[in-house]
Amino acid sequence: MSDVIDIDAIGEGQVAVMDQLPSGEIPAESPLHHLDSTVPTFTSKPAGVRLWEEALKGHLVLRGNAEDPTFQRGVEAALGMALPERLRSVQQGPLSLRWIAPDEWLLVCPGDQAAALEIRLRRHLSGHFAVVNVSGGQTLIHLAGPDAAMVLKKSCPYDLHEHNFPIGKVVTTVLAKTQATLCKIAADQWELVVRRSFADYAWRWLVDASAEYGLIGDTPATAAQRRASTGRHPVSSET
Amino acid sequence: MTQINRLSSGGRIDRETPIRFVFNGRHYGGYRGDTLASALLANGVKVVGRSFKYGRPRGIVAAGAEEPNAIFQLGAEESTQVPNVRATQQEIFEGLVSRPTSGWPGLGFDLMGAAGKLFGRMLPPGFYYKTFMFPQSFWEVYEKYIRKAAGLGRSPRVPDADIYDHLNQHTDVLVVGAGPAGLSAALAAARTGARVILADEQAEPGGSLLYSRDLIDGEAPDRWLHNTLTELAGYEHVQVLTRATVNGYHDHNFLTIHERRSDHLSDRAPEGQARQRMHRVRAHWVVLATGAHERPLVFGHNDLPGCMLASAVSTYIRQYGVVPGRRLVLMTTNDYGYRTAFDWQDSGHEVVAVVDTRQNPEGPYQEEARARGLTLMRGCAVIEAKGGQQVTGAVIAPIDADGGRVTGATRVLACDTLASSGGWSPAVHLSCHTGSRPVWRDDIIGFVPGETVQRQLVAGAVDGTYSLAGCLREGLRAGVEAAVKAGYPSVPTAAPKVNELTEGEAMALFCVPHLKRTSRAPKQFVDFQTDVTAAAIELATREGFESIEHVKRYTAMGFGTDQGKLGNINGMAIAARSMNKTIPETGTTVFRPNYTPVTFGAIAGRHCDELFDPKRYTAMHPWHVEHGAKFEDVGQWKRPWYYPKPGETMQQALDRECRATRESIGILDASTLGKIDIQGKDAREFLGRVYTNAWAKLAVGKCRYGLMCGEDGMVFDDGVTSCLGEQHFLMTTTSGGAARVLEWLEFYHQTEWPELEVYFNTVTDHWATMSIAGPNSRKLLAELCDDIDLDRDAFRFMDWRQGTVAGVPARVFRISFTGELSFEINVQANYGLYVWEKLFEHGAKYNLTPYGTETMHILRAEKGFIIAGQDTDGAVHPYDLGMSWAVKEDKPFSFIGKRGMKRADCVREDRKQLVGLKTRNPKVVLPEGAQAVNDPNQPKPMTMLGHVTSSYYSANLGRSIAMGLIRDGFNRMGDTVYYPQTDGSVIEAEICSPIFLDPKGERQNV
Repeated sequence: MSDVIDIDAIGEGQVAVMDQLPSGEIPAESPLHHLDSTVPTFTSKPAGVRLWEEALKGHLVLRGNAEDPTFQRGVEAALGMALPERLRSVQQGPLSLRWIAPDEWLLVCPGDQAAALEIRLRRHLSGHFAVVNVSGGQTLIHLAGPDAAMVLKKSCPYDLHEHNFPIGKVVTTVLAKTQATLCKIAADQWELVVRRSFADYAWRWLVDASAEYGLIGDTPATAAQRRASTGRHPVSSET
Repeated sequence: MTQINRLSSGGRIDRETPIRFVFNGRHYGGYRGDTLASALLANGVKVVGRSFKYGRPRGIVAAGAEEPNAIFQLGAEESTQVPNVRATQQEIFEGLVSRPTSGWPGLGFDLMGAAGKLFGRMLPPGFYYKTFMFPQSFWEVYEKYIRKAAGLGRSPRVPDADIYDHLNQHTDVLVVGAGPAGLSAALAAARTGARVILADEQAEPGGSLLYSRDLIDGEAPDRWLHNTLTELAGYEHVQVLTRATVNGYHDHNFLTIHERRSDHLSDRAPEGQARQRMHRVRAHWVVLATGAHERPLVFGHNDLPGCMLASAVSTYIRQYGVVPGRRLVLMTTNDYGYRTAFDWQDSGHEVVAVVDTRQNPEGPYQEEARARGLTLMRGCAVIEAKGGQQVTGAVIAPIDADGGRVTGATRVLACDTLASSGGWSPAVHLSCHTGSRPVWRDDIIGFVPGETVQRQLVAGAVDGTYSLAGCLREGLRAGVEAAVKAGYPSVPTAAPKVNELTEGEAMALFCVPHLKRTSRAPKQFVDFQTDVTAAAIELATREGFESIEHVKRYTAMGFGTDQGKLGNINGMAIAARSMNKTIPETGTTVFRPNYTPVTFGAIAGRHCDELFDPKRYTAMHPWHVEHGAKFEDVGQWKRPWYYPKPGETMQQALDRECRATRESIGILDASTLGKIDIQGKDAREFLGRVYTNAWAKLAVGKCRYGLMCGEDGMVFDDGVTSCLGEQHFLMTTTSGGAARVLEWLEFYHQTEWPELEVYFNTVTDHWATMSIAGPNSRKLLAELCDDIDLDRDAFRFMDWRQGTVAGVPARVFRISFTGELSFEINVQANYGLYVWEKLFEHGAKYNLTPYGTETMHILRAEKGFIIAGQDTDGAVHPYDLGMSWAVKEDKPFSFIGKRGMKRADCVREDRKQLVGLKTRNPKVVLPEGAQAVNDPNQPKPMTMLGHVTSSYYSANLGRSIAMGLIRDGFNRMGDTVYYPQTDGSVIEAEICSPIFLDPKGERQNV
């Protein structure tokens, strides 16, 4: 995709599209950057739970009519993948697309691709749709390990049993007294998308709920990667 | 004291593991596997409390959840205090400290026993009703004594040392109760592959099997129990929870299980573990296998320590290896009760007599009794217990066939234990929780669960099936049925073979007759915990309380923490007899959650302390903390309130912040304002319908203030909305109203105008928003922004521009909530703190001053700008606010609230209207909420004109300012109104324009 963003060419002034990332080396602070230290990166005890933030990803909300073949084709052409089924997530390289609601999806991408992807989507879509960059407004938390499901059972009323919650399923549900978009990405691994202003609470809740199982966070390597990820150069887990 | 009542063998206790514990300040010994009750009985402790009203000594009656007397306070430390613990369900552990909760001033003194005679007279039945009918002060005299004397424990005075948590569970089948029926149900359901949770309140699953004399497949039930539990443990899809009480059965098969995870291990929970856990279970199907509670018989002095339930005596002997006395008299209305005499005899102690209230019982139980050489007294009853502090004898008399009267001479038999069995009452409690009314069955002499709308099955004793074979069979059937209904294939499971004696017909007897009539007879207790007697129930019916619910409230029967598990049915039967009605005619009271008391800790779970409620933070929060901000809660947001410098009072800080903003430049973190991104070709039309003003012509690059009203025409939110593109708007809302406004928009879009092509998305958290205000704000912005023409004519008031601030792409809005030249800078939140700090780097030379919500309030009040929710209260429309300029009446489509504000009441001239208020004394600040009157000398109640909505001291104006609602206020400019204060003083104020500063609005247009 093009790195050159010609905003004026998009939507002909109908909508304001904006690359919101600074061009220089300006430090970005993810919603959870201040909580690194609450989770040890190493413990001698067996850890039943691993918890880490996948910071500074690009988050785009996509709205449209799922029944509309033009919209379906447009999304597929822009992203190289079809819209997921209801309550499902699909992945294409570094991009993942989560079903959120009957007319809403969440595209998560490498942080520096959000604006380009917004433009790309707008070029391929027509009619009634919306794309909203919410990268600063939410973050992604990984919860993994043999006891991750127990932590979630303490937090969510949703049925997490594999019959009801297979890999690739997405639900937006209650997390303690906030909410999260929950996606199961492997047998013992979950991704949670939480709102920025609630992230501190959600994180502290998860840390607390994990305590009895033994908890570790980022390995030193991934943490270092994350610290380096500022400005235009965020790191995604896939790269 | 030694365990004088401990049998040398038998029971399920671990005799290799002795345990020491404390009760009422004394040390006792027991074994692992003992409950507090069994250990105290083993030690020969007879009196464990004193009764609520009469102060009578009370002993252990039961062996399970139904225990009314042995309710203890637990905890070795202040932080581990737990009230309301049933000794019959609390296992002992090394170092356990317990004390009785009833019995002030002490178990040993008989002060209350003596005083109780007097005190009891002060507390007749209906005491509460009668007392409340008289002046309430009467109640206050007694309350503290009643509470002190009665009390069933107290809460800790310091924070709980332990943690508690919740666990959400989903299951195909939840089986409540792990007795023979519940175990069978769980087994049958588990074999189909269904997800099963089996929960039991006791320490060990098994229920009656743990003390049963019956044989399963020719052996003691232990083997079947062991095999069943082993099989269940082997299934990954099965959870067996013990010490786990299903305490509530709610709508839609939502049940809660109160699991005590470490209460049996130590005074405090092991490090990092929850002491108790509340399972919140959504069950596809529920099998209630909750069993039944044995009914005690009601007779004279039946509350003396030593009077026990027959099945409890058997439980103590067979499950705990404890025989509670030496000489037993057993009174029974049924064959099952005979087992207690057999168990007692087998323990090597004397059965003085088996007193059977039936005239001619004959069957295998009587045969066995005869074969054992037991003294069997038929057609007789124990009409009274003898003894002072405990049972020393039983007064026995012949009675007639229907138990109505004594028919012959009495005799007294010496004994120390008086066991009684009046039959069984199915534990219908959970079924009642769902609203189902229990149904009386004459054949089993008890209420069983009635019709239900829940996906619920019943099995075993709760449904009136008391034989072991029947329980096992019903359990299997219910387990399979539940699993099949939950979508699993049926797997047939054969019931094991059972050897048990066949029971003959039981007698319906609830209150044993006495030689004297009930009101004159020795007290015949029905409800031990609330000291309700048969005489009290008869009195209640005589006084006209005929509904069983009224009898309950009049006498307090069933009001205890045990909810009358033992006494209710007897009480209803006595009420029925007294009114010459049948039991079904009289009906039953029903039970509510919780089945047994639940700790507040378990209810709260981890939703306490730091995790009590989400705290929402903006991207700049760490800076605010570092710079000493005091915070204010706005919704769940933590917003800086003000930034005191060392030594400054709040007012000094506010004065400084206000002056700095008006004189040079101030900065506010406005990130919490709700922000909604609106896209679609009908966005503009939609705005026109939800706001009161016009949006049709707002050009790209422009911003406009709007008022949002409900259908009633009353203001509910306000904010500035900007036109980002022809089909793209950014709406701002109040901080607290963001979620409500988004829901409001979605509600109207989805239900009223789905044809409008528009999408709403929250971007509140995405943008960090900082508002710089003051005469130097343009200069500061210019230092950090070189790609926006900041000239006053190029970037005008109520314009927005896209550009770069401190190297970060930004949207800058020239809008103002202070009346000053002001720019609101929005950057992606990940860069918010960076830009904020850059502004301070460059702002130092202008004395850039951070200000919080309080200064924001003052600055806007100086300008007469409203805050929705503070100056409005849901009864204020735009015209009341003097904001007719914000209502566009002639929009082509209507707008929400248009009709509402045209109602007759809304167009009255003399409505309360928002005006400015200047106190006569400029130093006096009106309290917000103060009520205005025209005449401070008018006798009360005065005619109130309206209240003060906003009030501050304004350093810029050198005086106090206020806004408030005043009836007909717009026509009363210059009038004086009075605000009487609670201390008797009166504040005088003049009605004026709410715009105190810069009425022409020149400052924001520079």
